[in-house]
Amino acid sequence: MTSPIAALACLIALPFSVVLAQEKADPAPLSSVAHKSILKPIQYVEYDLPNGLHVILHENHGVPVIASYVLYHVGSKNERPDRTGFAHFFEHLMFEGSDNIPRGTIDKYISGAGGNLNASTSFDQTDYYLNLPANQLKLALWIESERMMHAKIDEAGVETQRQVVKEEKRRGVDNQPYGTLFENLAALVFKNTPYSWVPIGSFQYIDQASIQEFRDFYKTHYVPNNATLSIAGDFNLEETKKLVAEFFGPIPRGPELERPKVELPPQKELQKLDVLKENTPLPATLHAWRAPKETDPDAYPIELLGSILSEGRSSRLYKRLVEKEQAALDVEAFPYLLENAGMLGVFATGQRDVTLDQLDTMITEEVDRVKSEGVTQEELQKALNQKETELASAFGTMNSRAKNLARYHVFYGDTNLINTELDRYLAVKRDDLQRVANKYLTPEGLNLLRYPVPAVTEAPAQVPLQKK
Amino acid sequence: MKPFLCAFLLSLAAASADIDRTKKPEPGPAPVSSFPAYALKTLPSGLKVFVIEDDRKPTLTLRLLIKSGSASDAEKSGLAGFVASLLNRGTAKRDAATFASESDFIGMHVEAVAGADAIAVSASGLTKYTDKILDLFSDAVLHPAYPAEQFAKEQRKTLSALAAEKQEPSRLAEKLAGKVLYGAKNPYGAYRTPETVQAITRDDLVQFHKTYFVPNNATLAIVGDVKTADIVALVEKAMEDWKPGDLPAFKMPAPAEIKGVNIHLVNRPGSVQSNIVLGEAGPARNSPNVPELNVLNATLGGGFSGRLFQNLREKHGWTYGAYSAFDLRKYAGAFQANAETRNAVTHLAIAETLKEIARLRDEPVPEAELELQRQYNVGNYLLSLENTSRTAQRVQDIDLYGLPADFYKTYATRMESVTPAVIQDLAKTHLSTENVAITVVGEAKEIQPELEKIGKVFVYDTELKLQ
Repeated sequence: MTSPIAALACLIALPFSVVLAQEKADPAPLSSVAHKSILKPIQYVEYDLPNGLHVILHENHGVPVIASYVLYHVGSKNERPDRTGFAHFFEHLMFEGSDNIPRGTIDKYISGAGGNLNASTSFDQTDYYLNLPANQLKLALWIESERMMHAKIDEAGVETQRQVVKEEKRRGVDNQPYGTLFENLAALVFKNTPYSWVPIGSFQYIDQASIQEFRDFYKTHYVPNNATLSIAGDFNLEETKKLVAEFFGPIPRGPELERPKVELPPQKELQKLDVLKENTPLPATLHAWRAPKETDPDAYPIELLGSILSEGRSSRLYKRLVEKEQAALDVEAFPYLLENAGMLGVFATGQRDVTLDQLDTMITEEVDRVKSEGVTQEELQKALNQKETELASAFGTMNSRAKNLARYHVFYGDTNLINTELDRYLAVKRDDLQRVANKYLTPEGLNLLRYPVPAVTEAPAQVPLQKK
Repeated sequence: MKPFLCAFLLSLAAASADIDRTKKPEPGPAPVSSFPAYALKTLPSGLKVFVIEDDRKPTLTLRLLIKSGSASDAEKSGLAGFVASLLNRGTAKRDAATFASESDFIGMHVEAVAGADAIAVSASGLTKYTDKILDLFSDAVLHPAYPAEQFAKEQRKTLSALAAEKQEPSRLAEKLAGKVLYGAKNPYGAYRTPETVQAITRDDLVQFHKTYFVPNNATLAIVGDVKTADIVALVEKAMEDWKPGDLPAFKMPAPAEIKGVNIHLVNRPGSVQSNIVLGEAGPARNSPNVPELNVLNATLGGGFSGRLFQNLREKHGWTYGAYSAFDLRKYAGAFQANAETRNAVTHLAIAETLKEIARLRDEPVPEAELELQRQYNVGNYLLSLENTSRTAQRVQDIDLYGLPADFYKTYATRMESVTPAVIQDLAKTHLSTENVAITVVGEAKEIQPELEKIGKVFVYDTELKLQ
């Protein structure tokens, strides 16, 4: 098993010997010195309104545009188990209108102002964004403050959006190969917690939810003290502070929220699920282990481990499964770290003539190899360089800046991480990767989710089948 | 946080009476969308190099456009795709693994993709690695080795991917729609199949590369935190071996004529939704009315405020989205309207789409609605200028498609001044309810009977073979 790595070391010895030599000579990591001069700092101001709304403003006159981004700290994990899909469904209703905005006109106001808009719902958050020419800042503030102050929800809107959301789920889940992957994965890995269902939820609960429940949900979660307003772009800072106060200041503070608890007792044994679906064209397997929440110090070595396993054609899993064995079409290791829990998954889609057992053996062997042998210094340096490129490339548009400033504030309590997060990666040591691999990627902590290709002639395999 | 809070409390007290939240706030004067400045340098080899200096990020992005794409596949559909995807899998001096290690180590990405009219080779990374990026990029573009073993691996993967596509409704719809819109004999209507993929040889790749990867058939766009003179000098040095070549004459057959209302139904058993692509003939990219056609399309299906979205989704709740687009290619084009609907309403969604097309032909768009669509297009064009890579692509498009040099300089003004009469005229010329090719991927036993009432139905299996 060491031959691919030995071969790699020989191949890259020449081009990178200079870098490695400097690293040995200098105890400070080379790239931590270099990055300070290359990442461009993003300036911003932030403050709270008396009603608790957190405001972040990034003034930038490069192009005459503004990005408005409102993050509500409520997602599918705030739902009751018998109301899954509620937060996402509610997100659709927030486009209906308000006391002062007639029903169905929000998108027309934004389009007519030359802008665009959207929203999304995840496990931990619901966010709304508006991108507009810079002269339309007030329109953005008006719409977002109206939605926060007195959104209006009536039966007609609820019924239409019920149908729309069902089509959204059919499109993304039921009519796609592997469409139920994430739903099944969350149910396995995060069993008995509010992370065990996915934001799109279930049809039956969307039908059962009453209008009064929507109103209660709104009163509880869509309050300024549970929201962050982040604006980036071409505006005057002092003027904008004044406008923000005028539009959002009158919104009353809401009750303090009780945050959902996510308690995951250690997983004691392997969990396995084979999902038999008629529309599965190629065998696919997913290995997933619980991982720390996103703010845990171990989050950084886990992210880097994911890169070493599958980022680029020189990564371990790609080289083994795709290049060497020609067993997989593609393989991806994906850390999925949330506010209160996390996972590391490895997903591989097999070629037509490959069995799931073959794919599983290869993944297991590669994971075991990281655990027993650790990673090389070149692999760590490569992962850090990839992360540096990713972070340096990530925050170009005003929308990406507004969004990430808010995300770092809400989930890390440190808005300035937009400028400094790379330092946390650079602090990771080679040993940390082997340590986290052994800590989290245990045999008893494994969740194995597989999509076999349905056999045309044989009876279904003797595995617990998904009921649907 | 505290200092801001104090300042803010004062301003709140003074200002809360200034706004009237019962009315939509009026905007200030609209910003002007001036097309960003760029430099053009022509290298001695004939390669045109466009540079946009952008210091927001410490990165460098290169995009080489080879002005030949899958339309040049001849009978071997998929050829240009292989030429592109194998470009970074080994060169004369680096084998595939070495190339991957060296580019991964600096966090650089080099990828090439083949479109119908061009192959785009893109590379991006940090400016501190500029020399290395240019070295790897030029090595891939000038000296790909197309190792037999890498080609065999890619061919094998492609055959598996084609097997998977039989279950992907959007891919099935896209492939069949292209075929029925452009015709089986037109390269724009072709798609790769197991037979064409197996017919391609390594020599075909080498020959395609030798023929089309010449500087007189390419443009290069550079975007990033660079100085034009410096980066052009570096590129010139990195690509100094590149010599012009003779290009073969290229003749594009005319697309097939679409006559009558025909429904091409791919029977995908188990489907809980129908993927609908309503297609018509359309103009080529260099048609004189593209800015105005964009406003026409936006009115019908360009976004959340388009008529298709408002009708099919917001009024009826039949779909998650409904959009339309002109697919404008170099030698021909098409118009397509898309929606994914539950099985039971498939025919209703098609009927309403046809009704919306008829309404644009029969009635002028009310001025208020058109004004919204003008502003939507002009404003979103302004917003797109934030993306400098997109600006670079537009500059390359002017060259690729032979557009007037001032196309993007006059783009916003032209969209802003389009009248209801012009829109109705264009709808009559370019949209039809009588000559329509409708592709549907779905559960035939549930949807076919109602579809028969709309037009003649042709049924295909998931290999897209006519039944």
